[in-house]
Amino acid sequence: MLATALSSARPYLAFARTSFLNILAYRARYFVGILTYFFNATVWYYIWRALFHEKGEGATLGGFTFPQMLTYVATGWALRSFYFNEVDRDIASQVREGRLAMTLIKPVDVQAMTLSQALGESAFRLVLFTVPIGLLLVLVYPVLPPVSPAALALYLLSGLLSALLVGAINFCVGLVAIRTTSILGVLRAKYLVLELLSGLLVPVAFFPEPVRKVLVWLPFLHMNDTPGRLWLGLATGADAARSLGLQAAWVVALLALGRLLWRATARRIEVQGG
Amino acid sequence: MRRVRFHARLLALYFAQYAKARLAYRADFAAAVLASFLGTAASFSVVLLLFSRFPHLAGWTYPEIVFLYGFSLLPYGLFSVVSSNLWDFADRYLVEGRFDRILLRPVSPLFQVLFESFRLESLQEVATGAVAIGWAVSRLPDVSPLGLALLPLWAVFGAVIYVSVFGLLTAASFWVEDRVGLAPPVFNLMSFGRYPITIYDLKVKLLLSTVIPFAFASFYPTALALGRGEFLPYFWAVPLVAVAFALLNVALWRRGIARYGSTGS
Repeated sequence: MLATALSSARPYLAFARTSFLNILAYRARYFVGILTYFFNATVWYYIWRALFHEKGEGATLGGFTFPQMLTYVATGWALRSFYFNEVDRDIASQVREGRLAMTLIKPVDVQAMTLSQALGESAFRLVLFTVPIGLLLVLVYPVLPPVSPAALALYLLSGLLSALLVGAINFCVGLVAIRTTSILGVLRAKYLVLELLSGLLVPVAFFPEPVRKVLVWLPFLHMNDTPGRLWLGLATGADAARSLGLQAAWVVALLALGRLLWRATARRIEVQGG
Repeated sequence: MRRVRFHARLLALYFAQYAKARLAYRADFAAAVLASFLGTAASFSVVLLLFSRFPHLAGWTYPEIVFLYGFSLLPYGLFSVVSSNLWDFADRYLVEGRFDRILLRPVSPLFQVLFESFRLESLQEVATGAVAIGWAVSRLPDVSPLGLALLPLWAVFGAVIYVSVFGLLTAASFWVEDRVGLAPPVFNLMSFGRYPITIYDLKVKLLLSTVIPFAFASFYPTALALGRGEFLPYFWAVPLVAVAFALLNVALWRRGIARYGSTGS
Protein backbone atom coordinates (compact mmCIF):
# COMPACT_ATOMS: atom_id res chain seq x y z
CA MET A 1 0.00 0.00 0.00
CA LEU A 2 2.66 2.43 1.10
CA ALA A 3 4.95 1.29 -1.68
CA THR A 4 2.25 1.97 -4.30
CA ALA A 5 1.58 5.40 -2.81
CA LEU A 6 5.27 6.23 -2.88
CA SER A 7 5.80 5.08 -6.44
CA SER A 8 2.77 7.03 -7.67
CA ALA A 9 4.10 10.13 -5.88
CA ARG A 10 7.50 9.87 -7.58
CA PRO A 11 6.72 11.79 -10.80
CA TYR A 12 5.24 14.63 -8.73
CA LEU A 13 8.40 14.86 -6.63
CA ALA A 14 10.28 15.20 -9.90
CA PHE A 15 8.04 18.11 -10.92
CA ALA A 16 8.61 19.77 -7.55
CA ARG A 17 12.36 19.31 -7.91
CA THR A 18 12.48 20.69 -11.46
CA SER A 19 10.46 23.69 -10.39
CA PHE A 20 12.93 24.27 -7.56
CA LEU A 21 15.89 24.09 -9.95
CA ASN A 22 14.26 26.35 -12.52
CA ILE A 23 13.93 29.15 -10.01
CA LEU A 24 17.52 28.66 -8.97
CA ALA A 25 18.40 30.06 -12.38
CA TYR A 26 16.70 33.33 -11.49
CA ARG A 27 18.32 33.92 -8.11
CA ALA A 28 18.78 37.66 -8.60
CA ARG A 29 15.02 38.04 -8.82
CA TYR A 30 14.78 36.83 -5.26
CA PHE A 31 17.26 39.29 -3.83
CA VAL A 32 15.23 42.08 -5.37
CA GLY A 33 12.10 40.39 -4.04
CA ILE A 34 13.40 40.60 -0.47
CA LEU A 35 13.46 44.39 -0.84
CA THR A 36 9.92 44.39 -2.19
CA TYR A 37 8.59 42.52 0.81
CA PHE A 38 10.59 44.67 3.18
CA PHE A 39 9.06 47.85 1.73
CA ASN A 40 5.56 46.42 1.95
CA ALA A 41 5.95 45.53 5.61
CA THR A 42 7.60 48.89 6.27
CA VAL A 43 4.75 51.03 5.01
CA TRP A 44 2.45 49.13 7.38
CA TYR A 45 4.88 49.59 10.24
CA TYR A 46 4.55 53.36 9.84
CA ILE A 47 0.77 53.33 9.42
CA TRP A 48 0.22 51.22 12.53
CA ARG A 49 2.79 53.25 14.47
CA ALA A 50 0.88 56.45 13.65
CA LEU A 51 -2.48 54.88 14.52
CA PHE A 52 -1.26 53.48 17.83
CA HIS A 53 0.45 56.78 18.59
CA GLU A 54 -2.95 58.53 18.36
CA LYS A 55 -4.36 56.13 20.94
CA GLY A 56 -1.53 56.59 23.38
CA GLU A 57 1.06 54.32 24.97
CA GLY A 58 -0.01 50.70 25.58
CA ALA A 59 -3.34 51.03 23.74
CA THR A 60 -4.95 48.13 21.88
CA LEU A 61 -6.66 48.33 18.49
CA GLY A 62 -9.02 45.54 17.49
CA GLY A 63 -7.56 43.46 20.34
CA PHE A 64 -3.94 43.93 19.22
CA THR A 65 -1.17 45.78 21.03
CA PHE A 66 1.35 47.62 18.83
CA PRO A 67 4.03 44.89 19.14
CA GLN A 68 1.40 42.25 18.37
CA MET A 69 0.20 44.16 15.32
CA LEU A 70 3.74 44.58 14.07
CA THR A 71 4.32 40.86 14.56
CA TYR A 72 1.11 40.14 12.66
CA VAL A 73 2.37 42.29 9.77
CA ALA A 74 5.85 40.71 9.76
CA THR A 75 4.69 37.08 10.02
CA GLY A 76 2.02 37.82 7.41
CA TRP A 77 4.40 39.20 4.76
CA ALA A 78 6.97 36.50 5.51
CA LEU A 79 4.25 33.89 5.01
CA ARG A 80 3.11 35.52 1.77
CA SER A 81 6.65 35.18 0.45
CA PHE A 82 6.29 31.45 1.11
CA TYR A 83 2.79 30.71 -0.17
CA PHE A 84 2.96 32.95 -3.24
CA ASN A 85 2.82 31.10 -6.56
CA GLU A 86 1.84 31.80 -10.13
CA VAL A 87 -0.12 28.64 -10.80
CA ASP A 88 -2.94 30.77 -12.22
CA ARG A 89 -0.76 32.65 -14.70
CA ASP A 90 1.02 29.48 -15.66
CA ILE A 91 -2.06 27.37 -16.31
CA ALA A 92 -3.74 30.25 -18.16
CA SER A 93 -0.77 30.84 -20.45
CA GLN A 94 -0.45 27.10 -21.14
CA VAL A 95 -4.03 26.97 -22.32
CA ARG A 96 -3.70 30.23 -24.28
CA GLU A 97 -0.52 29.39 -26.08
CA GLY A 98 -1.48 25.80 -26.81
CA ARG A 99 1.39 24.43 -24.75
CA LEU A 100 -1.18 22.53 -22.75
CA ALA A 101 -1.05 19.73 -25.31
CA MET A 102 2.44 18.89 -24.09
CA THR A 103 1.15 18.71 -20.54
CA LEU A 104 -1.84 16.60 -21.52
CA ILE A 105 0.24 13.87 -23.11
CA LYS A 106 2.10 13.29 -19.84
CA PRO A 107 0.59 10.39 -17.89
CA VAL A 108 0.04 12.46 -14.78
CA ASP A 109 -2.75 14.32 -13.05
CA VAL A 110 -2.57 17.95 -14.18
CA GLN A 111 -3.79 19.43 -10.91
CA ALA A 112 -1.39 17.31 -8.83
CA MET A 113 1.43 18.21 -11.19
CA THR A 114 0.66 21.93 -10.96
CA LEU A 115 0.45 21.79 -7.19
CA SER A 116 3.71 19.90 -6.82
CA GLN A 117 5.37 22.53 -8.98
CA ALA A 118 3.90 25.21 -6.71
CA LEU A 119 5.15 23.41 -3.60
CA GLY A 120 8.57 22.98 -5.16
CA GLU A 121 8.64 26.70 -5.74
CA SER A 122 7.52 27.31 -2.16
CA ALA A 123 10.33 25.10 -0.84
CA PHE A 124 12.74 27.28 -2.77
CA ARG A 125 11.14 30.47 -1.54
CA LEU A 126 11.31 29.24 2.06
CA VAL A 127 15.09 29.00 1.92
CA LEU A 128 16.09 31.98 -0.19
CA PHE A 129 13.19 34.27 0.46
CA THR A 130 11.02 33.68 3.54
CA VAL A 131 13.87 33.05 5.98
CA PRO A 132 15.96 36.09 4.89
CA ILE A 133 12.88 38.33 4.88
CA GLY A 134 11.88 37.07 8.31
CA LEU A 135 15.38 37.68 9.66
CA LEU A 136 15.52 41.15 8.14
CA LEU A 137 12.15 42.10 9.64
CA VAL A 138 13.13 40.71 13.06
CA LEU A 139 16.38 42.69 12.95
CA VAL A 140 14.81 45.98 11.93
CA TYR A 141 11.46 45.89 13.77
CA PRO A 142 10.58 44.71 17.30
CA VAL A 143 8.80 41.52 16.19
CA LEU A 144 7.53 39.26 19.00
CA PRO A 145 8.59 35.60 19.11
CA PRO A 146 5.78 33.00 18.92
CA VAL A 147 4.03 32.79 22.29
CA SER A 148 5.01 29.14 22.77
CA PRO A 149 6.74 26.29 20.93
CA ALA A 150 3.26 24.90 20.28
CA ALA A 151 2.19 28.20 18.71
CA LEU A 152 5.22 28.07 16.42
CA ALA A 153 4.39 24.50 15.40
CA LEU A 154 0.77 25.45 14.69
CA TYR A 155 1.89 28.50 12.71
CA LEU A 156 4.17 26.34 10.56
CA LEU A 157 1.45 23.77 9.99
CA SER A 158 -1.04 26.48 9.13
CA GLY A 159 1.52 28.11 6.84
CA LEU A 160 1.94 24.88 4.93
CA LEU A 161 -1.84 24.61 4.59
CA SER A 162 -1.85 28.24 3.32
CA ALA A 163 0.52 27.27 0.53
CA LEU A 164 -1.79 24.39 -0.47
CA LEU A 165 -4.81 26.67 -0.17
CA VAL A 166 -3.26 29.35 -2.40
CA GLY A 167 -2.23 26.69 -4.91
CA ALA A 168 -5.79 25.33 -4.98
CA ILE A 169 -7.31 28.83 -5.30
CA ASN A 170 -4.90 29.85 -8.06
CA PHE A 171 -5.58 26.70 -10.05
CA CYS A 172 -9.28 27.64 -10.08
CA VAL A 173 -8.55 31.31 -10.84
CA GLY A 174 -6.33 30.39 -13.77
CA LEU A 175 -9.05 28.22 -15.28
CA VAL A 176 -11.62 30.99 -14.89
CA ALA A 177 -9.27 33.71 -16.18
CA ILE A 178 -8.72 31.99 -19.54
CA ARG A 179 -12.30 32.79 -20.41
CA THR A 180 -11.39 36.49 -20.70
CA THR A 181 -8.75 38.02 -22.95
CA SER A 182 -7.34 40.21 -20.22
CA ILE A 183 -5.94 37.44 -18.05
CA LEU A 184 -3.29 39.69 -16.53
CA GLY A 185 -5.92 42.25 -15.55
CA VAL A 186 -7.98 39.60 -13.78
CA LEU A 187 -4.91 38.25 -11.99
CA ARG A 188 -3.83 41.72 -10.91
CA ALA A 189 -7.28 42.36 -9.46
CA LYS A 190 -7.10 38.99 -7.71
CA TYR A 191 -3.90 40.01 -5.89
CA LEU A 192 -5.44 43.21 -4.58
CA VAL A 193 -8.71 41.59 -3.55
CA LEU A 194 -6.95 38.70 -1.80
CA GLU A 195 -4.57 41.06 0.02
CA LEU A 196 -7.68 42.55 1.57
CA LEU A 197 -9.74 39.38 2.17
CA SER A 198 -6.84 37.25 3.44
CA GLY A 199 -6.24 39.58 6.34
CA LEU A 200 -2.71 40.28 5.08
CA LEU A 201 -3.16 44.05 5.26
CA VAL A 202 -5.71 44.33 8.06
CA PRO A 203 -6.70 41.59 10.54
CA VAL A 204 -10.29 40.44 10.26
CA ALA A 205 -11.01 42.02 13.66
CA PHE A 206 -11.01 45.43 11.94
CA PHE A 207 -13.77 44.63 9.47
CA PRO A 208 -17.33 45.72 10.24
CA GLU A 209 -19.39 43.03 11.96
CA PRO A 210 -21.60 42.05 8.94
CA VAL A 211 -18.57 41.70 6.65
CA ARG A 212 -16.73 39.68 9.26
CA LYS A 213 -19.66 37.27 9.52
CA VAL A 214 -19.41 36.59 5.79
CA LEU A 215 -15.61 36.43 5.72
CA VAL A 216 -15.34 33.68 8.32
CA TRP A 217 -17.33 31.45 5.96
CA LEU A 218 -14.93 32.06 3.08
CA PRO A 219 -11.54 30.40 2.56
CA PHE A 220 -9.46 33.56 2.19
CA LEU A 221 -8.88 34.42 5.85
CA HIS A 222 -7.03 31.15 6.25
CA MET A 223 -4.27 32.52 4.04
CA ASN A 224 -3.05 35.02 6.64
CA ASP A 225 -5.41 35.73 9.50
CA THR A 226 -5.43 32.15 10.82
CA PRO A 227 -1.64 31.61 10.87
CA GLY A 228 -1.11 35.13 12.26
CA ARG A 229 -3.43 34.52 15.19
CA LEU A 230 -1.79 31.16 15.90
CA TRP A 231 1.68 32.73 16.15
CA LEU A 232 0.40 35.41 18.52
CA GLY A 233 -1.51 32.93 20.67
CA LEU A 234 -4.79 34.76 19.89
CA ALA A 235 -6.21 31.40 18.86
CA THR A 236 -5.36 28.50 21.19
CA GLY A 237 -6.82 25.15 22.21
CA ALA A 238 -10.20 24.36 20.70
CA ASP A 239 -10.23 27.65 18.77
CA ALA A 240 -6.90 26.80 17.16
CA ALA A 241 -8.03 23.27 16.33
CA ARG A 242 -11.24 24.58 14.76
CA SER A 243 -9.37 27.16 12.66
CA LEU A 244 -6.88 24.59 11.41
CA GLY A 245 -9.69 22.11 10.70
CA LEU A 246 -11.57 24.70 8.65
CA GLN A 247 -8.38 25.63 6.83
CA ALA A 248 -7.74 21.98 5.91
CA ALA A 249 -11.38 21.51 4.89
CA TRP A 250 -11.11 24.49 2.55
CA VAL A 251 -8.02 23.02 0.95
CA VAL A 252 -9.91 19.82 0.21
CA ALA A 253 -13.02 21.66 -1.02
CA LEU A 254 -11.06 23.96 -3.35
CA LEU A 255 -9.01 21.10 -4.74
CA ALA A 256 -12.30 19.37 -5.58
CA LEU A 257 -13.63 22.55 -7.20
CA GLY A 258 -10.41 22.79 -9.20
CA ARG A 259 -10.90 19.24 -10.50
CA LEU A 260 -14.43 20.06 -11.64
CA LEU A 261 -13.28 23.21 -13.41
CA TRP A 262 -10.39 21.32 -14.96
CA ARG A 263 -12.69 18.65 -16.31
CA ALA A 264 -14.95 21.30 -17.85
CA THR A 265 -11.96 23.09 -19.38
CA ALA A 266 -10.23 19.97 -20.68
CA ARG A 267 -13.37 18.91 -22.47
CA ARG A 268 -13.56 22.24 -24.29
CA ILE A 269 -9.94 22.02 -25.30
CA GLU A 270 -10.35 18.61 -26.86
CA VAL A 271 -13.34 19.83 -28.82
CA GLN A 272 -11.17 22.59 -30.26
CA GLY A 273 -8.66 19.98 -31.27
CA GLY A 274 -5.89 21.72 -29.24
CA MET B 1 7.06 73.83 -30.95
CA ARG B 2 6.33 72.16 -34.25
CA ARG B 3 7.79 68.94 -32.87
CA VAL B 4 5.55 69.14 -29.80
CA ARG B 5 2.47 69.67 -31.99
CA PHE B 6 3.50 66.77 -34.20
CA HIS B 7 3.94 64.43 -31.22
CA ALA B 8 0.68 65.54 -29.61
CA ARG B 9 -1.21 64.78 -32.82
CA LEU B 10 0.56 61.46 -33.09
CA LEU B 11 -0.32 60.59 -29.51
CA ALA B 12 -3.98 61.31 -30.23
CA LEU B 13 -3.83 59.04 -33.28
CA TYR B 14 -2.03 56.24 -31.42
CA PHE B 15 -4.56 56.45 -28.63
CA ALA B 16 -7.61 56.53 -30.90
CA GLN B 17 -6.28 53.60 -32.91
CA TYR B 18 -5.59 51.51 -29.81
CA ALA B 19 -8.94 52.40 -28.23
CA LYS B 20 -10.78 51.36 -31.40
CA ALA B 21 -9.05 47.99 -31.43
CA ARG B 22 -9.71 47.48 -27.75
CA LEU B 23 -13.35 48.51 -27.87
CA ALA B 24 -14.04 46.10 -30.70
CA TYR B 25 -14.51 43.49 -27.98
CA ARG B 26 -16.85 45.40 -25.75
CA ALA B 27 -17.83 42.73 -23.24
CA ASP B 28 -14.22 41.84 -22.76
CA PHE B 29 -13.23 45.43 -22.22
CA ALA B 30 -16.06 45.81 -19.71
CA ALA B 31 -14.76 42.76 -17.84
CA ALA B 32 -11.27 44.29 -17.77
CA VAL B 33 -12.61 47.57 -16.39
CA LEU B 34 -14.61 45.70 -13.78
CA ALA B 35 -11.60 43.66 -12.70
CA SER B 36 -9.47 46.77 -12.52
CA PHE B 37 -12.13 48.53 -10.47
CA LEU B 38 -12.43 45.59 -8.06
CA GLY B 39 -8.70 45.84 -7.42
CA THR B 40 -8.86 49.57 -6.77
CA ALA B 41 -11.93 49.13 -4.58
CA ALA B 42 -10.14 46.48 -2.52
CA SER B 43 -7.11 48.70 -1.90
CA PHE B 44 -9.32 51.64 -1.13
CA SER B 45 -11.42 49.65 1.35
CA VAL B 46 -8.33 49.07 3.44
CA VAL B 47 -8.03 52.82 3.87
CA LEU B 48 -11.74 53.20 4.55
CA LEU B 49 -11.73 50.31 7.04
CA LEU B 50 -8.88 51.70 9.07
CA PHE B 51 -9.45 55.39 9.01
CA SER B 52 -13.20 55.46 9.43
CA ARG B 53 -12.64 53.69 12.74
CA PHE B 54 -9.66 55.74 13.80
CA PRO B 55 -10.45 59.09 12.27
CA HIS B 56 -7.15 60.76 13.04
CA LEU B 57 -3.74 59.91 11.69
CA ALA B 58 -0.84 62.10 12.78
CA GLY B 59 -2.97 65.23 12.62
CA TRP B 60 -4.92 64.30 9.47
CA THR B 61 -8.68 63.84 9.52
CA TYR B 62 -10.56 61.04 7.78
CA PRO B 63 -11.77 63.17 4.82
CA GLU B 64 -8.23 64.51 4.40
CA ILE B 65 -6.86 60.96 4.26
CA VAL B 66 -9.53 60.03 1.69
CA PHE B 67 -8.56 63.15 -0.28
CA LEU B 68 -4.89 62.15 -0.23
CA TYR B 69 -5.60 58.58 -1.23
CA GLY B 70 -8.10 59.67 -3.87
CA PHE B 71 -5.61 62.08 -5.37
CA SER B 72 -2.87 59.43 -5.41
CA LEU B 73 -5.06 57.44 -7.83
CA LEU B 74 -4.96 60.21 -10.45
CA PRO B 75 -1.23 60.22 -11.29
CA TYR B 76 -1.10 56.48 -10.64
CA GLY B 77 -3.99 55.80 -13.03
CA LEU B 78 -2.47 57.98 -15.76
CA PHE B 79 0.88 56.27 -15.24
CA SER B 80 -0.76 52.83 -15.47
CA VAL B 81 -2.42 53.75 -18.75
CA VAL B 82 0.90 54.42 -20.49
CA SER B 83 3.41 52.30 -18.58
CA SER B 84 2.45 48.82 -19.74
CA ASN B 85 5.26 48.63 -22.31
CA LEU B 86 7.93 49.68 -19.82
CA TRP B 87 7.45 46.49 -17.81
CA ASP B 88 8.45 44.01 -20.45
CA PHE B 89 10.56 46.40 -22.51
CA ALA B 90 13.71 44.29 -22.17
CA ASP B 91 11.94 41.08 -23.17
CA ARG B 92 9.60 42.39 -25.83
CA TYR B 93 11.78 45.01 -27.47
CA LEU B 94 15.42 44.18 -26.84
CA VAL B 95 15.44 40.38 -26.73
CA GLU B 96 12.74 39.76 -29.32
CA GLY B 97 14.19 42.43 -31.57
CA ARG B 98 11.17 44.70 -31.87
CA PHE B 99 13.33 47.69 -31.07
CA ASP B 100 14.85 47.71 -34.56
CA ARG B 101 11.45 48.47 -36.02
CA ILE B 102 11.07 51.38 -33.59
CA LEU B 103 14.41 52.84 -34.64
CA LEU B 104 13.40 52.84 -38.31
CA ARG B 105 10.66 55.40 -37.75
CA PRO B 106 11.29 59.15 -37.62
CA VAL B 107 9.63 59.49 -34.21
CA SER B 108 11.24 59.49 -30.76
CA PRO B 109 11.81 55.83 -29.75
CA LEU B 110 10.82 56.49 -26.14
CA PHE B 111 7.58 58.06 -27.37
CA GLN B 112 6.81 54.97 -29.44
CA VAL B 113 7.60 52.54 -26.63
CA LEU B 114 5.38 54.41 -24.19
CA PHE B 115 2.44 54.89 -26.51
CA GLU B 116 2.36 51.75 -28.61
CA SER B 117 -0.15 50.25 -26.24
CA PHE B 118 -2.27 51.55 -23.41
CA ARG B 119 -3.90 49.99 -20.40
CA LEU B 120 -7.21 51.71 -21.05
CA GLU B 121 -9.02 50.16 -18.11
CA SER B 122 -6.74 52.02 -15.71
CA LEU B 123 -8.66 55.18 -16.55
CA GLN B 124 -11.17 53.86 -14.04
CA GLU B 125 -8.58 54.64 -11.36
CA VAL B 126 -8.63 58.28 -12.40
CA ALA B 127 -12.42 58.29 -12.22
CA THR B 128 -12.48 56.53 -8.83
CA GLY B 129 -9.92 58.98 -7.48
CA ALA B 130 -11.98 61.93 -8.72
CA VAL B 131 -15.10 60.59 -7.00
CA ALA B 132 -13.17 60.10 -3.74
CA ILE B 133 -11.84 63.67 -3.94
CA GLY B 134 -15.37 64.93 -4.58
CA TRP B 135 -16.67 63.13 -1.50
CA ALA B 136 -13.80 64.43 0.63
CA VAL B 137 -14.27 68.02 -0.57
CA SER B 138 -17.93 67.90 0.45
CA ARG B 139 -16.77 67.06 3.99
CA LEU B 140 -13.93 69.52 4.26
CA PRO B 141 -14.82 73.09 5.29
CA ASP B 142 -12.22 75.12 3.47
CA VAL B 143 -10.52 73.57 0.50
CA SER B 144 -8.58 76.09 -1.56
CA PRO B 145 -10.31 76.57 -4.97
CA LEU B 146 -6.99 77.35 -6.64
CA GLY B 147 -5.53 74.18 -5.12
CA LEU B 148 -8.44 72.17 -6.51
CA ALA B 149 -8.22 73.82 -9.92
CA LEU B 150 -4.54 72.93 -10.18
CA LEU B 151 -5.02 69.28 -9.14
CA PRO B 152 -5.53 67.87 -12.68
CA LEU B 153 -2.39 69.59 -13.93
CA TRP B 154 -0.43 68.45 -10.88
CA ALA B 155 -1.74 64.92 -11.44
CA VAL B 156 -0.19 65.05 -14.92
CA PHE B 157 3.12 66.22 -13.43
CA GLY B 158 2.84 63.35 -10.94
CA ALA B 159 2.32 60.87 -13.77
CA VAL B 160 5.36 62.36 -15.54
CA ILE B 161 7.40 61.71 -12.39
CA TYR B 162 6.26 58.08 -12.21
CA VAL B 163 6.85 57.49 -15.91
CA SER B 164 10.30 59.11 -15.70
CA VAL B 165 11.42 57.09 -12.68
CA PHE B 166 10.33 53.82 -14.28
CA GLY B 167 11.67 55.01 -17.63
CA LEU B 168 15.08 55.49 -16.00
CA LEU B 169 14.92 52.02 -14.45
CA THR B 170 13.87 50.54 -17.79
CA ALA B 171 16.67 52.32 -19.66
CA ALA B 172 19.10 50.41 -17.45
CA SER B 173 18.30 47.33 -19.55
CA PHE B 174 20.40 48.86 -22.37
CA TRP B 175 23.42 48.27 -20.13
CA VAL B 176 22.51 45.45 -17.77
CA GLU B 177 22.14 41.98 -19.20
CA ASP B 178 20.32 40.53 -16.22
CA ARG B 179 16.85 41.88 -16.75
CA VAL B 180 15.51 41.57 -13.24
CA GLY B 181 15.71 45.25 -12.57
CA LEU B 182 14.79 47.30 -9.58
CA ALA B 183 11.31 48.09 -10.84
CA PRO B 184 9.28 45.83 -8.49
CA PRO B 185 10.58 47.20 -5.16
CA VAL B 186 10.44 50.76 -6.49
CA PHE B 187 6.89 50.09 -7.63
CA ASN B 188 6.02 49.14 -4.07
CA LEU B 189 7.49 52.40 -2.84
CA MET B 190 4.61 54.14 -4.61
CA SER B 191 2.28 53.06 -1.84
CA PHE B 192 4.26 55.18 0.63
CA GLY B 193 3.08 58.29 -1.19
CA ARG B 194 -0.57 57.51 -0.52
CA TYR B 195 -0.44 58.41 3.15
CA PRO B 196 0.54 61.64 4.91
CA ILE B 197 4.30 61.97 4.71
CA THR B 198 4.32 63.12 8.34
CA ILE B 199 3.90 59.53 9.59
CA TYR B 200 7.36 58.55 8.30
CA ASP B 201 10.82 58.93 9.76
CA LEU B 202 13.27 61.40 8.31
CA LYS B 203 15.06 58.76 6.21
CA VAL B 204 11.86 57.71 4.46
CA LYS B 205 10.84 61.34 3.92
CA LEU B 206 14.24 62.07 2.41
CA LEU B 207 14.07 59.02 0.13
CA LEU B 208 10.61 59.98 -1.14
CA SER B 209 11.63 63.60 -1.69
CA THR B 210 14.97 63.04 -3.45
CA VAL B 211 16.18 59.87 -5.18
CA ILE B 212 12.73 58.33 -5.65
CA PRO B 213 10.61 61.50 -5.62
CA PHE B 214 7.22 59.86 -5.21
CA ALA B 215 6.14 62.35 -2.55
CA PHE B 216 6.15 64.96 -5.34
CA ALA B 217 3.81 62.78 -7.39
CA SER B 218 1.12 62.03 -4.85
CA PHE B 219 1.53 63.84 -1.54
CA TYR B 220 2.88 67.37 -2.05
CA PRO B 221 0.35 68.11 -4.85
CA THR B 222 -2.42 68.12 -2.25
CA ALA B 223 -0.73 70.73 -0.03
CA LEU B 224 -2.36 73.79 -1.59
CA ALA B 225 -5.89 72.35 -1.69
CA LEU B 226 -5.70 71.10 1.90
CA GLY B 227 -4.09 74.34 3.16
CA ARG B 228 -0.90 72.72 4.48
CA GLY B 229 1.34 75.78 4.43
CA GLU B 230 4.45 73.91 5.56
CA PHE B 231 4.48 71.90 2.33
CA LEU B 232 3.74 74.77 -0.08
CA PRO B 233 7.35 75.19 -1.25
CA TYR B 234 7.31 71.50 -2.23
CA PHE B 235 3.96 71.96 -3.93
CA TRP B 236 5.38 74.64 -6.22
CA ALA B 237 8.47 72.51 -6.83
CA VAL B 238 6.37 69.67 -8.31
CA PRO B 239 6.52 70.95 -11.95
CA LEU B 240 10.28 71.47 -11.64
CA VAL B 241 10.85 67.96 -10.30
CA ALA B 242 8.68 66.53 -13.07
CA VAL B 243 10.55 68.41 -15.81
CA ALA B 244 13.96 67.58 -14.29
CA PHE B 245 13.22 63.84 -14.09
CA ALA B 246 11.66 63.82 -17.55
CA LEU B 247 14.80 65.43 -19.04
CA LEU B 248 17.00 62.99 -17.15
CA ASN B 249 14.92 60.13 -18.48
CA VAL B 250 15.12 61.35 -22.09
CA ALA B 251 18.87 61.86 -21.75
CA LEU B 252 19.43 58.35 -20.41
CA TRP B 253 17.32 56.83 -23.18
CA ARG B 254 19.40 58.76 -25.77
CA ARG B 255 22.60 57.33 -24.34
CA GLY B 256 21.11 53.86 -24.07
CA ILE B 257 19.94 53.91 -27.68
CA ALA B 258 23.36 55.14 -28.83
CA ARG B 259 24.79 52.07 -27.14
CA TYR B 260 22.15 49.69 -28.44
CA GLY B 261 23.29 46.95 -30.75
CA SER B 262 20.63 44.90 -32.45
CA THR B 263 20.33 41.19 -31.75
CA GLY B 264 20.16 40.91 -35.50
CA SER B 265 17.00 38.86 -35.44
